[in-house]
Amino acid sequence: MHPHARELAQLFEFGQPEIALVVCACVLFVGGLFRADRRLWGGVALAGLGVAFLVHLMIVLGPMASALPANASAAFSVPLLFDPLAHLTRVLALATGAMFILLSWHEPPERNVADHHACVMIIIAGVSLVGAANDLVALFLALEMVSIPTYVLQYLPRHDDASQEASIKYFLLSVFSSAFLLFGFSYLFGLTGTTNIAASLHVLYGAPGEDTKAIAGLAQIALLMIAAGLGFRITAVPFHFYAPDVFQGISTSGAAFLSYIPKIAGFVALLRVFGFVVPDAVTMQSYQGSGLALSDQVPTLFWFLAALTMSIGNLLALLQDNLKRLLAYSSIAHAGYMLVALASAPYLSGPDSASNGVAALLFYLVAYGAMTFGLFGVIGMLHRPERPVESVDDLAGLAKSHPFLALLTTILMFSFIGMPLTAGFTGKFFIFFGALSTEALPPPVGGAVRELPGWLYPTLAVIGMLNAAIGGWYYLRVITVMYLRGAVKPIETWGTAPGFTTLAICVLLTLGLSVPPGVTWFLGAVRATTARSAPAVPAPREAE
Amino acid sequence: MMGLFQTLLILLLTIPAVAAVVVACLGQARAQLVRQISLGATIAGACIALLVTFAQIVDRPSTPPDKTFRPLFVPGSTNDERSKTTWNLIDFKHFRNAETVKDAKLGAVQFYIGLDGMNVWLVLLTAILMVSAVLISWNAVQERVHEFHAWLLALGVGMTGVFLAFDIILFYVFFELTLVPLFFLIGIWGGPERRYAARKFFIYTLAGSVITFLGLLAVVIVCYHKTTPHELTFSIPELVQTFNLLVNRADLDAGERAFYQSFQFWVFLAMMAGFAIKVPLFPVHTWLPLAHVEAPTAGSVLLAGVLLKMGTYGFMRLCLPLAPDASITLGVPIIGTLSVVGILYGALCARAQDDIKKLVAYSSVSHLGFCTLGMFALNSAGLTGSLMQMINHGLSTGALFLIVGMIYERYHTRLIADYSGLGSKLKSISFCMVFISLSSVGLPGLNGFIGEALIFFGMFELRPTLAILGTGGIVLGAWYLISLVRDVFFGELKEPSHEGHAVEDITPREIATLAPIMALCLLIGLYPQPILNSMKPAVEVVANILNERKNARPLPVAPAAPGKDIPLVQARE
Repeated sequence: MHPHARELAQLFEFGQPEIALVVCACVLFVGGLFRADRRLWGGVALAGLGVAFLVHLMIVLGPMASALPANASAAFSVPLLFDPLAHLTRVLALATGAMFILLSWHEPPERNVADHHACVMIIIAGVSLVGAANDLVALFLALEMVSIPTYVLQYLPRHDDASQEASIKYFLLSVFSSAFLLFGFSYLFGLTGTTNIAASLHVLYGAPGEDTKAIAGLAQIALLMIAAGLGFRITAVPFHFYAPDVFQGISTSGAAFLSYIPKIAGFVALLRVFGFVVPDAVTMQSYQGSGLALSDQVPTLFWFLAALTMSIGNLLALLQDNLKRLLAYSSIAHAGYMLVALASAPYLSGPDSASNGVAALLFYLVAYGAMTFGLFGVIGMLHRPERPVESVDDLAGLAKSHPFLALLTTILMFSFIGMPLTAGFTGKFFIFFGALSTEALPPPVGGAVRELPGWLYPTLAVIGMLNAAIGGWYYLRVITVMYLRGAVKPIETWGTAPGFTTLAICVLLTLGLSVPPGVTWFLGAVRATTARSAPAVPAPREAE
Repeated sequence: MMGLFQTLLILLLTIPAVAAVVVACLGQARAQLVRQISLGATIAGACIALLVTFAQIVDRPSTPPDKTFRPLFVPGSTNDERSKTTWNLIDFKHFRNAETVKDAKLGAVQFYIGLDGMNVWLVLLTAILMVSAVLISWNAVQERVHEFHAWLLALGVGMTGVFLAFDIILFYVFFELTLVPLFFLIGIWGGPERRYAARKFFIYTLAGSVITFLGLLAVVIVCYHKTTPHELTFSIPELVQTFNLLVNRADLDAGERAFYQSFQFWVFLAMMAGFAIKVPLFPVHTWLPLAHVEAPTAGSVLLAGVLLKMGTYGFMRLCLPLAPDASITLGVPIIGTLSVVGILYGALCARAQDDIKKLVAYSSVSHLGFCTLGMFALNSAGLTGSLMQMINHGLSTGALFLIVGMIYERYHTRLIADYSGLGSKLKSISFCMVFISLSSVGLPGLNGFIGEALIFFGMFELRPTLAILGTGGIVLGAWYLISLVRDVFFGELKEPSHEGHAVEDITPREIATLAPIMALCLLIGLYPQPILNSMKPAVEVVANILNERKNARPLPVAPAAPGKDIPLVQARE
């Protein structure tokens, strides 16, 4: 019998929420053949997400919870690992799924609505599994569970030329990026002889006393390819070219989807594959006792990606008149801020660090989700074929015709800018506090001192902050248009109930995550993802 | 411990905040009620501010405080430590790695407010100008009245918060939050170029202050890394104390000393980016005349009277004590020179204006130059003078903008050429104008004199050349203001057409707007001693810190490739 048969069998129990989602998707696919009913299938989808969440709660709070941190050697063999990061990703995915169902309530034609929601269910299950993946194959499958239904999803709500062109563009480039990813994975497999992520990290970064120089060159190629493949999903420059065109072409909810859900999957996958978050059992040579372990090349790679992504996203956003193109570049820019957190994370893993890059990244990820979903919700609610809301100027006079809606939108815009009392500010505070706190890690046992040039991360922080100021200009333009200009033809539609619900939740999150107790509670939750239950070097821990 | 005054400090922030929400909900239809509520809230704020000011004067610690600021009336303080708070907002314990070293103390971003000699008068100034701002907008603003007053009150919260905050993040939060209300005040109720002016104001100040933010964070982080055991704190008094202990340690080796020098160089530049734009210093002042001219009167009053002080206050509260060496080696030549250039350039520009409001706006650039000039004398006299000048400028220029607003309300033009000899028609307003102009140019016996005198005493000690050049600004100031008064209020009566409606002299509401300010001008001019005394402890803290560093003969700052050989975070002792 396999030595880890019990752990493998347990995976099915831990994976029940994802199974529930897939079952729900099947119900939707089949049921959709017989009835076309927006409210029924919307309700079924929301119920499916709710059931998945309940099952999740039962697992986390139930008796199995004690078995959650898989034991040391199991981490090297199981394909899925349900650690705190997996749980956080799952809750985030479920919440995002519910928000997305509400956001896209009226978008797909009635006869396609069941198929639409079924695709969403599978995608959410996929995102959730990315968080748990501990095996390259499982990770790839989970990522494809996100990608393949996305192609269908892009095409379902609208069938015009623009939408078709955008869907094809996204499809081709997405497949291309998956190929990069697989190419990288194959190198990784060739180098380490295993597809298990924990085990391959163990080999790559070297167990104590091992020499990893021999494989360093090829490992760099592998990691570069993987970064390229995942960079497409998080719209990192230079893999961002599709975003503005696709956002402009597809439906509003589709753009909202692309601006956020692939980002969750992409960032979580980066955390896993690059070893920002590693299972307890894995110990590596290049760090002492914390969950992050990387060679210097990896942070450098992310440093450049972050600087490029922020700057190009913000500068090109300045030129945009189309609202969705603007949001596409804004989405790129915000991916850049998150990459700053990723780039600084390795140097914050020392025992003295007062900051935590992974927690900052996850915090910002959620904050960004609230802003962007809220804003797309507003656009989706107000857009009508006879009175389109496509360019920034189409929002003119919104403060006069819809004062309350304009106020909520303004709060979201200020969150994008990063004004205090919004989640956007708190997130940037954590990220840039981290970037400035970076310090060289203590040298490994018997190893040489690794140097970190003092100007490196402060420079990145300055680039980031200047970008935040540049971003202020175009976000402020939206506010200016809403408040300081009259409309030629006022917007007449009143929002929809699901749209308002989405918007209200997003604004509440944006405000709630910026002040205690919201910020404290959530910080604790994201911090837990890098908590290690058994420190490598036993150290007396302070009671908290 | 929540004493009476702790509660009052909190009320100082919550009353306008609650009032803002209430008036926003009342809606356009009940405009008169909105104005009354807003007036009630600001008057309540002014009364509270007066009360805490008196209490601060009485309660002021008699012994000179040691190394750092000691705020009074801190809400959330304990009996043992009256000047510290326990009200945590974001606790950094949550960032702790499981393995974080045993004895590191991870502090929290706190809701830490209090009063000391440096901020108490600025808080009072804010509260009084808020009342004037509401009164002057009584008839001037007729559109979207409820929104206007809501933003005005929100601006009041932000400004008061900046001065009260003793937590570095809280300071920044309030600092940034003032941008939003003023953006809307200028953008909605401003003049013809309002949209451009509002956006330029917002982006200009945002771009500067985000860099300042990094500077503030850097100080927090270096203080954390360099202390043993590590101690993370966001409290300004603690940071000032810790940082200066670190810098003044006797056992610093050459490498560490060089590190602190280059660190301060960058922190100084970062803080200067935000504060210099806010002040505004000479080359980055271009947003100010535009914003002033386009803003509604109430916006101009608060912008000139209070918001600009946030820049100078930031320099004094944060920049001087947290980057003392860079302030000595870099601040004196750079900011001193820029101040003098600003004083002269602002004055000459003011003389050249044909629009009264623009004239007053450029006079602000000139007068704020005195503030920074005195501050970078880096001695007790200069600092006190600078702080006095902040208050004086707030009163005088605030009042000037109020009077300009009153005249504009009557005739709907601000061109100097349209007016002449108003004194024969608007006798009382003319009296106020002459009074305020004299206070603004620094006539002995009125408030302007004492501040300017102290500034030049202070600067003369350090750099006589700068002081002598700066005094030229006083002469120019008298020239442009007295010319303005002559052109507009004296000579033969020439009124612009005012479409038939009668033009009356000052109304009781306008008297109430100006009277408190003029009374304070006179009071400060005749009997400044209590104010100077109350400022002394806080100013001495800064002066002592700077003296200690001056005596330590700071090394020349080495900006070339900072950090190349000196890692930002060095191996700790």
